Amino acid sequence: MDDYAIGVLTNIGLVSFLALSAYLLLVAGEMSFGQQAFFGVGAYAGGILTAMYGWPLPLAALAAMTLGALAQLLVGLPTLRLRGLYFAMATLASAEMMRILFELLHFQRVVDGDAVGPDGTQGFRGIRWVFEHGVEPIEYLAIVYALLALALAGFLRLERSRLGATLRGVGEDAELAAVLGVDVTRCKLGVAAAAGALAALGGVLFAHHNTYVEPRNFDIMLGVHSLAYALIGGLGTALGPLLGVVLDIGALEGSRVFQGYRMIVFGGLVALLLVWRPRGLLDERTVQWLKQRFS
Amino acid sequence: MIDLAQNTLDGLFLGSSYALLALGFTLIFGVLRRVNLSYGPAIMLGCYAATWAHLSFGAGLLALAAIAVLCTTLAGAYVERLCFAPHRQSSAIAAMVASFALWMQLEELATLALPRHIYDFPPLYAGAPLDFWGLSLRVESLVMLGAAIAVCALLWWILYRARFGIAVRAVIDQPNAAQLAGISVPRTFMLTFAMASAIGGLAGFLIAASHEQVTPMLGMWSTLKGLLAMMLGGLGSLPGAVAGGLALGLLEAHSQWFLGPQARDLIAYALLFLLLAARVPWMTTRSAS
Repeated sequence: MDDYAIGVLTNIGLVSFLALSAYLLLVAGEMSFGQQAFFGVGAYAGGILTAMYGWPLPLAALAAMTLGALAQLLVGLPTLRLRGLYFAMATLASAEMMRILFELLHFQRVVDGDAVGPDGTQGFRGIRWVFEHGVEPIEYLAIVYALLALALAGFLRLERSRLGATLRGVGEDAELAAVLGVDVTRCKLGVAAAAGALAALGGVLFAHHNTYVEPRNFDIMLGVHSLAYALIGGLGTALGPLLGVVLDIGALEGSRVFQGYRMIVFGGLVALLLVWRPRGLLDERTVQWLKQRFS
Repeated sequence: MIDLAQNTLDGLFLGSSYALLALGFTLIFGVLRRVNLSYGPAIMLGCYAATWAHLSFGAGLLALAAIAVLCTTLAGAYVERLCFAPHRQSSAIAAMVASFALWMQLEELATLALPRHIYDFPPLYAGAPLDFWGLSLRVESLVMLGAAIAVCALLWWILYRARFGIAVRAVIDQPNAAQLAGISVPRTFMLTFAMASAIGGLAGFLIAASHEQVTPMLGMWSTLKGLLAMMLGGLGSLPGAVAGGLALGLLEAHSQWFLGPQARDLIAYALLFLLLAARVPWMTTRSAS
């Protein structure tokens, strides 16, 4: 594989974590415009720990995921009771706040004679753990996909379980679920924590792949894209968001056919697709049909 | 003291541009109960079309205003056909994501036609600002404020006095009954959407002409500011949109003066977040799914 292909594939993997994070919330009935914030938290936290304090990447990733989960809980606690658009706007506001805080964050430390660390709008350079430890791009790609496979396995298991059914129930009709004895608040907080951790993991991997992050990476465009990926791919299975990412980044950016017209083609296709399938390609009914067919 | 007064004045004028943006936004939301994310990009396309006409034929201000309003309305109608008409019964999320997809499309269309980062836009008024007891007052700002008030009054008249407005309100309250009474619901939606987009186009033209430039940020800026002002004032309410816009303008002008531009945006979003979390009554009474 050439470097370009490896780069595209790695990007698909990284963004998939964010799309899965948006998907998890959508399944539980919440639309978030702000998952990019936790992606950013992961990227900054992971980068600070490895590049400034010399932590090993796996440990830094775990710490960043914890932080991502806590951050999303913090945002979720006062807002998860809001409905629909109100929740979406609250998450948008919190994510933009986070982005501006990244712009205001100047926190540097001298490592090997160079100042390393977030430098406001100038961004955060020198997140070189992967490079310094001799991890080849192809190996990093394997790591990203191994983690993604792990996350997916977790999702597929969840969706076959009772808890998965409960989550879908909460997403369909929270009042009805509450009447049936489901603790809706606890359910949603759990989902929020998991979504935050997932997004943060994607962020850590993104920062160490790019070696450089800046606040602009985590603007609203990224968040709405991940929401769109989940919806294009379909809300019936966790493979849906992945399909969405592959369609956008893989088929369009990767093929380089529509250079310059990519968004015109993609935007129109997505709008038409949603007319035909408002809950995505792999929606609940299709997944059900596929299951009956192949089991 | 004079600074405080000047900032308040600037905030009011800035706020009137937000109010204009929010009026179009809230009209769409009030009638369709849907958020149109490509509201801003449609405005951007309209302003880019006007800029293009200015560069190509040196069209005058009135012609530019007409082009901006017309093109924004056309772009809005396109968005309505593709994103909102098919999703009237089904999920709001699909409509919103579809409108985001068209956002990408409209923005790329505009930047393909005019790829530079900044284009000059002819000024609304070339003279110096007026001076009142040491306070400077830009003529553009007065026009903007006047336009916001006029549009709000006109909308009120249309919705509460004109035949079309009765149809709109009937469709909002009882879509089925309205249909039975012979009102075409899809047509009402379409016309409301076009009207809202025309207001957006006018707002965009005034904003471009008072900033004397257009940039590719115009689309996202308009959507975010319009959304923020609409949310602050309460969804789907006309006076709320004006109040929200003016409040946002005042807040921004003062916080920028005291704390700088980054703090300005931070404070606006923090306020929105806190008000939502506190579930203040005027913001969360209307159902939004």
